[in-house]
Amino acid sequence: MNPRIVAPLAGAAVAALLVLGSTLWVRGHVASAEQRLLTPEAEKPQVAVAADAEVKYCTPRFKQVLERVLHSCGLATEARRGCKPADVKTFASISDDDFNELFHPLKDRGGVVMFDVGKEDLDKGAKELLSERFTDRKGARYFFVVARASKTGTPQKNRALSHRRANSIMYSLKELANDPEIEKKVGLLWLGNEFAQLSKEYCAWPNSRPTEKCDEDAINRTAFVSWIDCRL
Amino acid sequence: MRELTCLGARSRFPWARPTEGVFMKSRGFAILALLGALLGLVFALTSTLDYASHLDRRLHDVTCSFIPGAAATGEAEACRTAMYSPYAALLRDSYWGGIPISLFAVGAFCFFAGFAIYLAVAGQAAPRRAVLLFAGTGVTPALVSIGMFVISATRLGTFCKTCVGIYIASFVLAVAALLGLATLSAKHATDRPRPPGSLWLVLALLPALAALTLLPAVVYASAAPDHRPYLASCGELKQQPREKDQLLSVRGQSAVKPALFFEDPLCPTCKAFHARLKGEGVLSRLDIKLALFPLDPSCNWMLDTPLHPGACTLSKAVICGGERSLEVLEWAYDEQERLGAAGKSGEDVLKGAITQRWGADMGKCVDSPKTKARLNAHLHFAVDNAVPVSTPQVYLDKKRICDEDTDIGLRYTLKHLAPEVIR
Repeated sequence: MNPRIVAPLAGAAVAALLVLGSTLWVRGHVASAEQRLLTPEAEKPQVAVAADAEVKYCTPRFKQVLERVLHSCGLATEARRGCKPADVKTFASISDDDFNELFHPLKDRGGVVMFDVGKEDLDKGAKELLSERFTDRKGARYFFVVARASKTGTPQKNRALSHRRANSIMYSLKELANDPEIEKKVGLLWLGNEFAQLSKEYCAWPNSRPTEKCDEDAINRTAFVSWIDCRL
Repeated sequence: MRELTCLGARSRFPWARPTEGVFMKSRGFAILALLGALLGLVFALTSTLDYASHLDRRLHDVTCSFIPGAAATGEAEACRTAMYSPYAALLRDSYWGGIPISLFAVGAFCFFAGFAIYLAVAGQAAPRRAVLLFAGTGVTPALVSIGMFVISATRLGTFCKTCVGIYIASFVLAVAALLGLATLSAKHATDRPRPPGSLWLVLALLPALAALTLLPAVVYASAAPDHRPYLASCGELKQQPREKDQLLSVRGQSAVKPALFFEDPLCPTCKAFHARLKGEGVLSRLDIKLALFPLDPSCNWMLDTPLHPGACTLSKAVICGGERSLEVLEWAYDEQERLGAAGKSGEDVLKGAITQRWGADMGKCVDSPKTKARLNAHLHFAVDNAVPVSTPQVYLDKKRICDEDTDIGLRYTLKHLAPEVIR
């Protein structure tokens, strides 16, 4: 065989076979990719979606009460703002002790803002505690304020006083937050002295006057504030 | 034996069987070139098939090995970086992912394999012009490889093993092609000089080289699926950034298009994406609202396990950068490996690295409640929009750019969704 004839033929044949084989192989890969493109994945891997925090204390019972607060105290609707003692009694459908028990897991998350007798003004310690707790939002969506008044005085007077205390906190929060939607985040409850009074043991909770004497009267001249890490 | 040698070497008939010594002298380079071309073909084909698999817009393992034909693996960051880079393909404006340059290598190596076969079979009968042409063209893959090597070293900062396989094969081919020139020397040609060969041979082989190099690319382009229906099919932003979200503003020098990014300073994919945007010249054309989304549970409640420990602290450093936040972010990307290790070592080690580079004031700012609250606002912005817990994420005109469109399909996607950012 004359290599002057065989050699070019062999070279051309090998090149042609290689290029055609490679091209068809690539073409096949492209075609199967197109087929997969047109056929949606049967089991597409699920990707987590950004959402509010949900921590252990968000028990169904806890969430049930908070849901009622949300709906009854105006967070979920535009109709009204805040809840007064009579409302809380009705919608919470829960005893005083059980109501307070629900907030136990929030002992370190929240704080107790203390007030002077018959006053609703926030002192420096109160503002600092409120700022500190409000800034430490983490993944929470709702901030709860539960204002109280001690048993000294009439229920009507204390109802009004705890309402003013709750509003005082709200006013301070508005200044802190610079958020036009702050009202949608804050749930206000004012309990007066009629519902869920706190016992002296709550004096051990973080409060705005840690060095002052705390008794059952003092711990009820307060507003408990906390972010709630639950998806409601 | 002596007679045979003489017969072989001195025969009047060039196709008569030569001795082993002459055989190797006239054909050895061609056999070496054939090996180089086949090796290059295997590596180029491997790379091309990996590329083609991604046309389905799904995640795939990538082959990244010096062993020809090795299996694809999930641990192939260097090869993935190379694949997603702007240098991996041509015509990326016109075709989703473009036409991979490895396809041209496939065609070229096929040509050189055929050419090498021709030279090996023809032996001393192969004309001088063919050997000269082989030497001239056989070095071109090596020249391209040098260019790609420089790009890998200077632009990508990493070397893809499959690409290095192609470089090595190209050099074997180039060395073999140049060795072929030695067979033209007077000393070698004393026994039986090569015929000069026709100019037509050159004129025929050059178009053949061009045709074979282009053929796989042309077929690929004609078969590539249309990705337009899939662009921007990955959801929309529910809520445009508001003042209360306190996102960072990173406006490019010649910004023409608003965009929103979710990024994590310790996320390697974010780093690679950032590099791609810069490489494409797109970053300076965007007016970016940057939401930091560290995948670190020390500040991000959406994760149970720390994917990037230290990312919260670095995100706060980026926030504290103020007008230099982009500079801080790019520093975090540049030093990502070191900072990631520092983050794993502990908060103090990482803060030390931050203050060492950016000063004590930055350290104070990172620790301030205000910065913490601002980062928290970024994360709540993500919640308000129910975005996927992943980074990076890009939104143009409220439309989310699909993850697969932020890598090999980036330029094509931008061409269709934001042509003004493409120069």
